[in-house]
Amino acid sequence: MTTNDRDDRPLAPRQGATRRTFLQQASLAAGGVLIGSAVTGQPALAQTPKRGGTLKLVHSKMNNINPAIQSGIATMVPGAQIFAGLVQYDAEWHPQPYLATQWETAKDGLSYTFHLRDDATFHDGTPVTAEDVAFSLQTVKANHPFGVAMFGGVSGVDTPDAHTAVIRLAHPVPSLLISTSSVLLPIIPKHVYDNGPIRTNPANVKPVGSGPFKLKAYDPAQYLILERYEHFFRPDRPYLDELIFQFMDDPSAIMIAMSRGEMQYWGYADQQRNIMRLEQQSTLGTTRKGYEAIGPLNWLAFNVRSKPLSDVKVRQAIAYAIDKNFIINKLFLGRAKDATGPIAPDGFFYDGKVERYAFNLDKANQLLDEAGYKRQANGTRFSLTLDWNPQGGNEEATLPAQYLKSQLPKVGIAIELRPSADFPSWAKRIANWDFELTMDEVFNYPDPVIGVQRTYICDNIKKGVIWSNTQGFCDPEVDKTFAAAALEVDPAKRKALYAEVQKRLADELPVYWLNEIAYTTVYDKRLRNLPLTIWGAMGPFDEVYWGEKTG
Amino acid sequence: MSIFRLLLTRILQGALLILAVVVFDFLLIHLAPGDPAQMLAGQLGGATAEILAQIRQEYGLDQSVWVQLWTYIRHVATGDLGTSYYYNLPVLSLILQRLPATLLLVVTAQLSAIVAGTFLGAVAAKRPDAWLSRLVDVTALIGYATPVFWLGIMLLILFAYLWPVFPVSGMETVGFSGDALARLLNLLHHLVLPAFTLAFIYLAQYSRLASTNMQNVLRADYIRFARAKGLPERTVTYKHALRNAALPVVTIAGLQFGSILAGAVLVETVFDWPGMGQLTYDSILRRDYPLLIGILLMSAVVVVVVNILTDLSYRIIDPRLRRSP
Amino acid sequence: MVSETAIPSRAASTPAREAWRAFAGNPAAMAGLALFIVIALVAALGPLLYPVDPFAIVSAPMSPPASDLPLGSDYLGRDVLAGLLDGGRVTLVIGISATCCTVSIGVLIGAFAGFYGGWIDAVLMRVTEFFQVLPPLLLAMVLVTLFSPNLMTVIVSIGLVNWTGVARVTRAEFLRIRQQEFVLAERAMGAPTRRIMWRTILPNALPSLIVITTLLVGTAILFEAALSYLGLTDPNVMTWGLMIGQSRNYIWETWWAVTFPGLAIVLTVLGNCLIGDGLTKALNPATRAR
Repeated sequence: MTTNDRDDRPLAPRQGATRRTFLQQASLAAGGVLIGSAVTGQPALAQTPKRGGTLKLVHSKMNNINPAIQSGIATMVPGAQIFAGLVQYDAEWHPQPYLATQWETAKDGLSYTFHLRDDATFHDGTPVTAEDVAFSLQTVKANHPFGVAMFGGVSGVDTPDAHTAVIRLAHPVPSLLISTSSVLLPIIPKHVYDNGPIRTNPANVKPVGSGPFKLKAYDPAQYLILERYEHFFRPDRPYLDELIFQFMDDPSAIMIAMSRGEMQYWGYADQQRNIMRLEQQSTLGTTRKGYEAIGPLNWLAFNVRSKPLSDVKVRQAIAYAIDKNFIINKLFLGRAKDATGPIAPDGFFYDGKVERYAFNLDKANQLLDEAGYKRQANGTRFSLTLDWNPQGGNEEATLPAQYLKSQLPKVGIAIELRPSADFPSWAKRIANWDFELTMDEVFNYPDPVIGVQRTYICDNIKKGVIWSNTQGFCDPEVDKTFAAAALEVDPAKRKALYAEVQKRLADELPVYWLNEIAYTTVYDKRLRNLPLTIWGAMGPFDEVYWGEKTG
Repeated sequence: MSIFRLLLTRILQGALLILAVVVFDFLLIHLAPGDPAQMLAGQLGGATAEILAQIRQEYGLDQSVWVQLWTYIRHVATGDLGTSYYYNLPVLSLILQRLPATLLLVVTAQLSAIVAGTFLGAVAAKRPDAWLSRLVDVTALIGYATPVFWLGIMLLILFAYLWPVFPVSGMETVGFSGDALARLLNLLHHLVLPAFTLAFIYLAQYSRLASTNMQNVLRADYIRFARAKGLPERTVTYKHALRNAALPVVTIAGLQFGSILAGAVLVETVFDWPGMGQLTYDSILRRDYPLLIGILLMSAVVVVVVNILTDLSYRIIDPRLRRSP
Repeated sequence: MVSETAIPSRAASTPAREAWRAFAGNPAAMAGLALFIVIALVAALGPLLYPVDPFAIVSAPMSPPASDLPLGSDYLGRDVLAGLLDGGRVTLVIGISATCCTVSIGVLIGAFAGFYGGWIDAVLMRVTEFFQVLPPLLLAMVLVTLFSPNLMTVIVSIGLVNWTGVARVTRAEFLRIRQQEFVLAERAMGAPTRRIMWRTILPNALPSLIVITTLLVGTAILFEAALSYLGLTDPNVMTWGLMIGQSRNYIWETWWAVTFPGLAIVLTVLGNCLIGDGLTKALNPATRAR
């Protein structure tokens, strides 16, 4: 799952991965039963893991420590250490056993049976049972922002015995398995959390889970300390004694702390200049792996309700007028990846065979002429406002916005920049459709039903809700394809459906995708077995240990 | 009036001023567009309805304006300047944490400017038509006209990039390790450019002020008497005249403390100096209103304190004023 | 300090001409005036003679001066010279508008305080003291942040924070002049207060006010530069401070994009300063007599 023979440079995605997964899941399509590996075997390691040591991680403050009701990096990373899930994922999008030793899905795809380990216990000593699984799923379904998207199709959870949970579905839910990742469906103990409204449950800041680490201390303003859970169900794991999540927001302070070795792990870093400075240090390594499951995208959204943006030719013209090379290489220092569609380039269903809109000013001008927007005497065809939220600096949105103001006049589109005062003002504007163009950053999450389709389907046009289909884009074909893909169990067919919808959306351009946000992990090179799965730090750190200094 | 009574009076006046600033802050919170509850609670968009309701209750936002004002004053009086929405820490502790770095920068800059300025001015005054005097005049003008952040950037280009004598940013070298003395030297090394930038603007003014003053003083009666008494020229200049010439410089320096704080905001952003100025800039970027307003209040407090101290030191330095009310 | 001799309200022509002669004889002051006029002309005519949109990408990014464009291009490929010319216009307009604002407030407060004295004076002076305690630039930053950055907010904010000096000078002048013979005479004759304040006293206070107003323009320009450097301005309007602020991360690769706007600010404020200095000397009969 993890190796440490990496150098410091960001890695290219592994090409073979997709094919292998595909084959593995193809056997599922054969209508049979897939038995998940009962072996928690890890690849043979070069060194013997050493027990002991503390790891200090740079982190952000969180509202609570319950990933069952709270999304967001701040809660999910520690949540993945405290809570275990039914399965965990590796770097090739393969599910691996975790609390579940094996699982089967029925021929008709309408139920999933999970066989739980019998030796898993919560941090208070009570055994993990199927009741807890049922309770957890219901809690997530009712309270999590993505609860309905992930488990809306679940009609019930049966618990025939203490270690078997059967999730019954009203219709096939191909995203179900990945939705049982520990950060999306953390298994929370019923006897702790089922005593009143979950949002105000004191356990939200005194969590009890069955993951490798348990709560030691929590100061909401300063730190969260986790210590090894001695009875974690994997023998000898976790190797580390303690995880200390230090809440730090100040970029300079983080820089100094990382370089002095006071902090040893900094995930979800996106300030490229600072990262580059830290890369100079021989004691630190960086990696771009570990973010595939969240698929963060940066895009330019069009409000397609009124002219001129209601005309697809106009949107395409804008796309042709943007030199993405410049944005990625000059503004983002060459460290972001080109995004070509609704699914991030590192995403599982990514398909790059779509219309690309290579930078071409002539084409752009031509399209605008065809659309009927002639240049007036002063060279302008029409003017558009461009919104974004500059709060916190937000270079991801501000730099392209400034670029667009300068670039689009080349094809006769005058841009008026309209920075919002802060996030609530921006969100209010966009959610109430009071915009023409806006920059936005949105996460895919690992399955398109969770974080992708919400932007494009007619059903999700909800006034007042940010990150719904605020563009007003409605194409029945797209909806049909998304709906079909949401139910398609055959992996090959599913992939084809998503390829189709990516193609169609790239033709229709309700938004124009600029780049995948270049999240990076900066870490102390002595660390071994860093979690570099698709979930990255949102997966358990049970195998991480301190090795000897290399070189 | 004795020094003691003076001190008391000044402190009372200062307290009243600070109270006025608190009321002003309250007005700002309520006059600015947007929901005051959001402004007090934090604006991550994740300020849930529960948190907002809690804030409304805590600050009495559903009650009359006077009750609200009183509640706000009470909060401030107990040192509760609110909670930074971004850092989720009490505003006061954030400010106090960063204050030392800024004080180091500002005090170094001010002292250097006062000392160097007075000295330069004195030397220039002795020979009013020499080139030094002209130079002092010109430099004063240019210093006044130069935006402090631009000066910092120019110095960075010259001395951190072109001729890399000084570090590019920060208060300490990233990755530095060493004993206390080495750390101190490293700190001083980082302090040079930002302190010089901040000092230069004021150095120019002070030297000009001192020069003008010195010229007047040198013509004054008591100086002539000192000379007549046969005191060596040096003593005349440095013991008597300088002391008097320094007075207005010290006064102006005290009065200008407010603007030097603002200058520190700009300088700290240029040099990544982790002080209150950076905090201010960050709170502007992040629309962290509780923090921003808290900083305004603290600056006013600092200015009041410095004014009182300046007033006192003025009366101590100038023997003529000691006896007058 | 302005002289003791009363300046009758009718005989203003001769002192004015004398002041001008004193000013004109001051090489530094004339240099400042020339500089300022040149800058104003360039700002007004420049964009007409060099009609390049400062926001348009007209060149390869980061090209040095004299390669493609006279003063080079910034990190996006925008013309630095165009930015200077357009920015000049905006900077001067903001500087002058904000100063008008400042002077209006300051004169009103100072006039009432100085004319009426008593408790009105006491209250207004406390208000002035209060505004002196709040660091002006910091207060301006807070105001613009709270009320959203756009040109109007910037002008009003700068206007609101710098008036204390004007108020003090106005008050001092009103205090002094209202005791003069001719003013007492008018009051005895029952002239309306408004007329006395604005038609009689104010014109005599002008010399001091002119000086301080001139210098305030420079301060306003520096404030605007600082605010736009911090991004507290309308991003659709190019100003010198904005140019410096936007190129913050590229000062080594495009030093020209930060150097030239800064130089422009220095020269403008310098010219303004020299004029102010010259006016101080020219309008002060004591120094004039020398």
